[in-house]
Amino acid sequence: MIQFSKVNKWYGEYQALTDVTAEVKKGEVVVICGPSGSGKSTLIRTVNRLEEIKSGVICVNGQDIHAPGLRINDFRSGIGFVFQSFNLFPHLSVSENVCLAPVRVSGRSKREAREHAAALLDRVGLAHKANAYPQQLSGGQQQRVAIARALAMNPPVMLFDEPTSALDPEMVGEVLNVMKSLARDGMTMVCVTHEMGFAREVSDRVWFMDRGVILEENAPEAFFTAPQHARSKAFLSDLRAH
Amino acid sequence: MLGRLDFSAIFAGPFAHLLVSGAIKTFELTATSWTLAVGLGVVLAVLRASGFPIATKAVAAFVAYHQNVPMLVQILLWYFGVPTLLPDAAQTWINAHDGELIFASIAVGLCMSAYFSEDLRSGLRSVHHGQQEAARSLGLSFFGTMRYVTLPQAIRNALPTFINHTVLLFKNTSLAMTIGAAEMTYVVREIENETFRTFEAYAVATLFYLAVSLGLMGLGALVEKRIQNQAR
Amino acid sequence: MLDIIRDNWLLLLVGQYPTGPLGGLVLTLILSVMGLLLSFPISIGIALCRTSPIRFLYVSSTVLVYIVRGVPLVMFVFWGYFLVPILVGHSVTAFTTLICTLIVYESAYLSEVVRAGIQALPKGQVEASRALGMGYWKTNLWVVMPQALYNMVPSIISQFVSIIKETSIGYVISVQELTFSANQVNNNLLTRPFPVFLILAITYFIVCFVLTQCAQHLERTITRKRSPKMTQLRSIANDSVLEGQ
Repeated sequence: MIQFSKVNKWYGEYQALTDVTAEVKKGEVVVICGPSGSGKSTLIRTVNRLEEIKSGVICVNGQDIHAPGLRINDFRSGIGFVFQSFNLFPHLSVSENVCLAPVRVSGRSKREAREHAAALLDRVGLAHKANAYPQQLSGGQQQRVAIARALAMNPPVMLFDEPTSALDPEMVGEVLNVMKSLARDGMTMVCVTHEMGFAREVSDRVWFMDRGVILEENAPEAFFTAPQHARSKAFLSDLRAH
Repeated sequence: MLGRLDFSAIFAGPFAHLLVSGAIKTFELTATSWTLAVGLGVVLAVLRASGFPIATKAVAAFVAYHQNVPMLVQILLWYFGVPTLLPDAAQTWINAHDGELIFASIAVGLCMSAYFSEDLRSGLRSVHHGQQEAARSLGLSFFGTMRYVTLPQAIRNALPTFINHTVLLFKNTSLAMTIGAAEMTYVVREIENETFRTFEAYAVATLFYLAVSLGLMGLGALVEKRIQNQAR
Repeated sequence: MLDIIRDNWLLLLVGQYPTGPLGGLVLTLILSVMGLLLSFPISIGIALCRTSPIRFLYVSSTVLVYIVRGVPLVMFVFWGYFLVPILVGHSVTAFTTLICTLIVYESAYLSEVVRAGIQALPKGQVEASRALGMGYWKTNLWVVMPQALYNMVPSIISQFVSIIKETSIGYVISVQELTFSANQVNNNLLTRPFPVFLILAITYFIVCFVLTQCAQHLERTITRKRSPKMTQLRSIANDSVLEGQ
């Protein structure tokens, strides 16, 4: 579904990604973890081209996303993206947030979009908030709406960039539950997250990144119980110390 | 049309001298009104910050009047209206001593003092209250705090808007032409009347204003950068 | 002073209408509304150019805005008086000249307000919209502009107040707006310039002050509804507004 092939990226002099080569198969749930500054957010943002790359190839569903001259908008709706800071549109109601792309990009009728939105909101447990505005919702509720909004375009793959990092602890669970149900339904997912419990429970593989390189790649149990690399060991022991 | 431009016509004979005197007059007007505006603006801002209700309300009324009445109208009121309120001797004296400059400077100066005082006021407000608390707990007096802690930061924060308003003041001196002050715009209209070289005459004035305005903005950017560097 | 108002209020309100063209305060307001409505779409265009990644658009719009910011309105009016008949091909009324000049002048200043509104939006809004597959124009139409313009309504009202004050420049080219009409009254009475011009000043004051208060009230309402970051960034917009006059 997603193939990274020798991906390199620089911010000026600083190399953010170095020769990243990896693959996410259809139906897989991959968790990317690592210390801050390791390039995990950068990597996931290159998948829908919110970040450009200097060299290498990234293929999503067979399409080279960074091909020059590519009309990226046509492909972005096929990649669901959930942001750390939700980024809901404050001037639109919850339902309108979810309907915006189906109506304006896919050209669906408003009635059709609203019905589809209602179903999605029900799936994330917020059907009763369809007419509310983002400012009236809690952080956890806003993030669940953001997930529904990304799902509205029926993407085959969903990307999550630290979806729970901006939430108060008591709201993390409700968002993770939605993500778990998505995973169980067979969605291809890539998640940058610190939530190791989530990783152990639903992910198929864990990528550990440090300084722009995927240092270690393993099944979750194997990674958490027997990390190979020195820095993975250090990272995990730091996490456990809290 | 471009082929028939003749800039030499407007620089010929007495016109060159006229242009220079127009420029000088503009600078004179700018200097006098700017001085008045800054001086009065600081006084107004301090009065407002003092907290006395009469002072605060009076300054608020002054600012409201000068920000809501067009500058042109203020100039007309000062030049045509106010002299009739003064005794004859004063009127004669004013007429003999370049009344246009005096009243235009007063009008522009008072109007811009309102803007400058508001700039300083928002500059003062932008300094965290904690700064003053820290200074006072160190033992600094009200004026000491103002002088060493609050005002330097307030001025730094207010500088961009202050520069913009200075440029505005400079541009507004052109309105003095309506009362016959022989500044740049007035002079250029005279030259145009004499030579019929409208495009060339207007172009010279436009370039003059642009050069000075952009120069002022550039100077402001330089000063801002200097102050930013000092802060580090 | 009251007797002056009593005798001349009609002239000050509507100029020489119906025996002559419409003038006075009514003309001032018509000029202002027309100026705002006609320059608004242009200012949005300029603001988009100013925030555009296309270098040519960015540079040319920036040059335009800086020229307008650096040259007095009076000079623009004289340029308009000279150029508009040439560009149109026949002579035009002073009213037309003034409107054209105001539109050019205001588009530049208003574009700074719109630009501040656009740049005040958190970057995440554009990212989220693009991540959904919405292109540049769709993002601007459905996500950026609705928010930017709503947040900038108080600044736009302040700019409208500036336009009202700027229409007084019509006096210089004999457009029969309020200032010109007051001057006519003064020329009729001759011996009472101070009360006449004071009435003129107070009239502008009342109109502009009421509008400014509305703008401040709206600002408080909007700030309550949106984030506090808006207040800080709207003050940047207000700075460019106050430059207008």
